Amino acid sequence: MVFSKLFFIYFFLPLCLFAYALAKGTKAKNIVLIIFSLIFYAWGEPVYVFLMLLSAFVNYIAGIVIDKHKDTKIDTLATALAVIYDFAMLGIFKYSGFIVENINALCSHINSLSYVNIPVPDIKLPIGISFYTFQTVSYIIDCHWETVKVQKKFSKFLLYLTLFPQLIAGPIVRYSTIEKEIDSRKIYLTDISYGLNRVVLGLSKKVLLSNQLSIIADNFLKNIDDASVVGAWFGAIAYSLQVYFDFSGYSDIAIGLGRVFGFHFDENFRHPFICKDITEFWQRWHISLSTFFRDYLLYVPIFGKRRKYGGLFLVWLCTGIWHGANWNFILWGIYYGIFVFLEMLIGKKRMKKIPVVIRHIYNKIVIVIGFGIFYFEDLNKLGTFFKTAFGFGNNGILGLQDKITFMNNIFLIIVSVICCFPIIEGIKKISDKSAFTRHTASLVTTFVSAVLLLLTSVMLVDATTNPFLYFRF
Amino acid sequence: MSKSSKKHNSKKHNTFVDNSFALLNIMVIMLILIAGFCYLLFLKRDTVSHEENRNLSKFPEFTVESYLKGEYTEGIANYYDDTVPNRSFFKTMISKYLIPMKGVKYGADDDGGGVELYNTANDNKEKEQPEEPVTKNTQTTTNNNEEESTKTTTTTATTLPKANEAAANGEVSNNILVVNKRAIMLYGGAWGNEINYAEDINAYKEALGKDINVYSMVLPTSVSYYLPENYLDLVESEKDDIDSIEKHLKNVTNVDAYTALLRHKKEPIYSRTDHHWQPLGAYYAAEEFAKEAGVDFADISKYKKHVLSGYVGTMYGYTKSSTLLENPESFIYYEPETSVEVEQYSTSFTNPVETELFVNPDYLDNSSYYLIFGMDDNIRHVKTKCKNGRNLVIFKDSYGNALLPFLTSSFENIYLCDIRYFDLNAASFIRSVKATDVLFAMCTYSAVGINREHLSENLNK
Repeated sequence: MVFSKLFFIYFFLPLCLFAYALAKGTKAKNIVLIIFSLIFYAWGEPVYVFLMLLSAFVNYIAGIVIDKHKDTKIDTLATALAVIYDFAMLGIFKYSGFIVENINALCSHINSLSYVNIPVPDIKLPIGISFYTFQTVSYIIDCHWETVKVQKKFSKFLLYLTLFPQLIAGPIVRYSTIEKEIDSRKIYLTDISYGLNRVVLGLSKKVLLSNQLSIIADNFLKNIDDASVVGAWFGAIAYSLQVYFDFSGYSDIAIGLGRVFGFHFDENFRHPFICKDITEFWQRWHISLSTFFRDYLLYVPIFGKRRKYGGLFLVWLCTGIWHGANWNFILWGIYYGIFVFLEMLIGKKRMKKIPVVIRHIYNKIVIVIGFGIFYFEDLNKLGTFFKTAFGFGNNGILGLQDKITFMNNIFLIIVSVICCFPIIEGIKKISDKSAFTRHTASLVTTFVSAVLLLLTSVMLVDATTNPFLYFRF
Repeated sequence: MSKSSKKHNSKKHNTFVDNSFALLNIMVIMLILIAGFCYLLFLKRDTVSHEENRNLSKFPEFTVESYLKGEYTEGIANYYDDTVPNRSFFKTMISKYLIPMKGVKYGADDDGGGVELYNTANDNKEKEQPEEPVTKNTQTTTNNNEEESTKTTTTTATTLPKANEAAANGEVSNNILVVNKRAIMLYGGAWGNEINYAEDINAYKEALGKDINVYSMVLPTSVSYYLPENYLDLVESEKDDIDSIEKHLKNVTNVDAYTALLRHKKEPIYSRTDHHWQPLGAYYAAEEFAKEAGVDFADISKYKKHVLSGYVGTMYGYTKSSTLLENPESFIYYEPETSVEVEQYSTSFTNPVETELFVNPDYLDNSSYYLIFGMDDNIRHVKTKCKNGRNLVIFKDSYGNALLPFLTSSFENIYLCDIRYFDLNAASFIRSVKATDVLFAMCTYSAVGINREHLSENLNK
């Protein structure tokens, strides 16, 4: 099921909230959430829901074994087997086609192996497998490291894994984040109010901004052969904004729904486009993924003395691969890795000495080009994009199409750029100075939320299927 | 009262006020959610979208297979989203108020500067006369001083109307320009595919031999006639590609629909709100084809004219432009006076069913190119009263459907086949129906685009 559908907003969600409000006590509320979460997932994946249940069961049992045999070889073995199982499932369902295609391609270039032609498996990617696999892996490793208490009740572990707000497109919620709230949580009116507003904000980002920006992006990038220099950049900038509002919008909905149900998920985006360098960009973009790699992969001792740089390479390679089974994603990960590595070499102090304007120009160019790499799964088209963006295309610097599209979307672009800044936080800071301004801000927020929800709903009447981009991961 | 208890009371008061505002916020959002829940669940759901000329999603039928594939549940969600009560009202609101908020039209604050067009719904003006070619006799007189005599020469020049319109302002969406209350698809060029098309048609001629006449009539779209000159940079020339096709045809007769239509560009030959032409455009193209084929052709006065007003075609769905929605046009089609027999077959020429040349408009809620001419996924056989021993097979895209009525006095039998939905070997089929003539009639987008691939596929099935 998709959040940005009228069916979710005006059918599934009200029923879920109603059932949740009726349920008395945490136990009953947990059962309501599990039932609705399984319906939510099975709505799109009636078969793969069993794969997720199997994954939950395997990791739950592994957790119990780890707990029973702390600091023994069985503990290590159970950890290893569970992690291998998790990654094997991810590998089979997400990467097997890509791996086989590349083996075949490689063999076709080697004379003695040119007869090799392995049938490419046609496996549909289970929705959200990248997210819930990382959650189970983080849980198992945390159990092994004894940084969390092993969950002994399957229903509670199932709730952690299947909680529908974050199930299919993140953020990657650590078990430690909601460990206590699974057992007992207090839900305040202010939490519900904040959560509902956050859901509306996320929906608005997706429907009013991201969906509209996608038209501009596709206009130029789908027809990259015909794009001018300005057109290529315009398309890539629009796509960068599209992905940001799409993914951060989903995270807003997840965090908001979580809050309504009494859970406090960590922030996944902190206005990434205001960053001053690429390292900072990744501290603000998809934070739950970056911190996962930082905590579980960066210092893996497989690179010996060079583990700092080896780990860095591994992290960025994995970041790329995680985003998709295609070479452009791998290239995209390594591309960012190179810039983070260069910034490490330059050093924080020397980076800070560079004028802020130069740093902003540098990182925005890197980010926009990065999203260009992210867009083009066809590497030939990606080559055309590079050529066009850097003035080696055949369509001049500025075309009529660029001017028309810009003017036709000028207010959308202005609003989108403004929304990249922490305006809400700024307003909150000012309004918190006195009770009067705080209450005025509350009223205004209610009004704006209501208007945004109505506008979003009207726009959804006309929306073709526009699933969130991060669904494919 | 002690200082600490005062502070405590004030904190309690603030919490109470905060909770009150939070409650108000929750109530407002929940009220919208509950109202939406009731509205979508209990009000009568729409079944047809007139603006998009389509039936809305139906509640899916349950089968185990569809459930396991996720299609059943997805179908329910799609049904719920697609059949919103008063959908048309919301769509109008989006087109009229929300989409325009994204920006401004390029270079102006008005769409097309109020240029009047033919056949809008509230238009009762006289039809503009067709712009016929103008033949001018020009006398040039030169003085030759040396011979001291005056020499006069007369040259005759035939001038066609200009292909492009005067500059105007519009908006671009989905590679479609909306200008002068007309949606125009921006043609991106053939880039060599026009030669491939010509070679495909040549292959048909080669396979069919000299006894069967093969014609190619590539039909330009409205971009060739109605694009304002200030947008010329956005498109490639359809005319150049059509000319290139003509150059590469071997033993195939080229039918010049471009010039035939250009003569009549001031008449409603193309739909403003749909990506198709109007039947009148098809009439002029069919006339040109009949000339090339050397067959009789009935004048348009011999047809019964049907006018369906309030027509908003497919381009509204693609652009969501309120300009198109607010300026519907008339869909005018022509019915031959002499009766014909029509049979509709499957795409493998089986299961014949008797049918009509047109769908009866009395049964339709709304006019539409597809609704009048029927869908493309079939083969139609028309048996006429004409007795000239000529049988025609037309391989076409949806543009070709509109040609059919105008050829009913020119051929004994006409077989209308869509290149995209044809499950037989084309050459064998042509021979099996004893065709004397084969016409390839499709718009430029099909001739040089992805649909072209069906031509060679159909010959090799």
